[in-house]
Amino acid sequence: MRIVGPAAWRGGMLALALVCAAGSSAGAQWLSLPLPGTPRTPDGKPNLNAPMPRTADGKPDLSGIWHADNWMRYNSNLLPDGTEAPMLPWAAALYKRRVETHGYDRPMTFCMPHGVPDAVTAPYPFKIIQTPGVTVILYEEFHKYRQFHTDGRQLPVDPDPNWYGYSVGRWEGEALVVDTAGFKEGSWLDNNGHPHTDALRTTERFGRINFGRLEIDVTIDDPKAYSRPWRSQTMRFELQPDTELLEHLCENNRDLGRLQEIWGGREPGGPPVTGRQ
Amino acid sequence: MRTRLAIVMGVAAIAASGQALAHHSFAAEFDAQKPLKLTGAVTKVEWSNPHIWFFMDVKNEDGTVTNWGFEMGSPNSLLRSGWKRDSMKLGDVVAVEASRARDGSNNANAHSVVLASTGQRLFSGQPGGQ
Repeated sequence: MRIVGPAAWRGGMLALALVCAAGSSAGAQWLSLPLPGTPRTPDGKPNLNAPMPRTADGKPDLSGIWHADNWMRYNSNLLPDGTEAPMLPWAAALYKRRVETHGYDRPMTFCMPHGVPDAVTAPYPFKIIQTPGVTVILYEEFHKYRQFHTDGRQLPVDPDPNWYGYSVGRWEGEALVVDTAGFKEGSWLDNNGHPHTDALRTTERFGRINFGRLEIDVTIDDPKAYSRPWRSQTMRFELQPDTELLEHLCENNRDLGRLQEIWGGREPGGPPVTGRQ
Repeated sequence: MRTRLAIVMGVAAIAASGQALAHHSFAAEFDAQKPLKLTGAVTKVEWSNPHIWFFMDVKNEDGTVTNWGFEMGSPNSLLRSGWKRDSMKLGDVVAVEASRARDGSNNANAHSVVLASTGQRLFSGQPGGQ
């Protein structure tokens, strides 16, 4: 056992005092917490324009807490301005109904999370943890996660369907390219309601620009719903420095019954309905 | 001038964060064309997910009292915009601006909450911002 000297002890106490000070000023949560490894300007503020960090093997390190710079736009509609998805007739009809009913029955109404790819455009941040064999995304929304396996494995051939599918990642230059398949129907591609089927395959490209900025675009390939693959607008994300994820769940869903009464033909005052989470 | 700019930027930041509340579709449940301005005493606060709800008694013109329910964002969003779980206490008199529920019930989505005793603005967002 190493004997901790007085200098180290004093350093530890100083760090503890700083943490306590930060904690008391920010309330009980870890909303404001200086994180080690954050490049800083001379005045101590996080330097979001600092160069992109890299892992030991030289790959871009995507790790950090991120939030979309324009989440309402991305979350509403994945497509670039002035473009439309090449929907097959049934998909176009379903999309039209979803738009006309203000998306009352989107998955969140039932306490189900955003899916692939729009979980990153939810109004809450997400945290990327990159390790050599797997990169993990922790979504603050409803406390969910995805794993991108980067250990060389292939996608399963006949997967059981999953909400988030199965994901494998590989590096193409400076971009982490994530292929995902094995979806079940249910999630919407965006809040406007672009649908998908179990034939969906997505290819997401993650590119870190510098310490403070990340870009993601995604290609949607679902021949049961769209006449050809199509690509999202490039979504941009800002690093959220010196903070942590907070808890977000769905234990008190007061909205579902009212929404079903307004839009779904449910009798007012019927038995209580709850979300699925 | 600098102070004024800082205030403007602060309000803009709060307004922006006030939009970060989505769970269900705002437009499906509330009507931004039915604005409400009500003042009353807080009777209950539910600091819970996916939305914080608070309730307050409002005196009507005929002397009766109606208990109104107001939906706000989720605790994570409100914490980030400076709201704490003890920001509003039972019995506090607050002035609320909100959008009424489409079903005509005494429920609404609040986008401005001001403490009557001090004028402190506890929360500010935009109608329909969810």
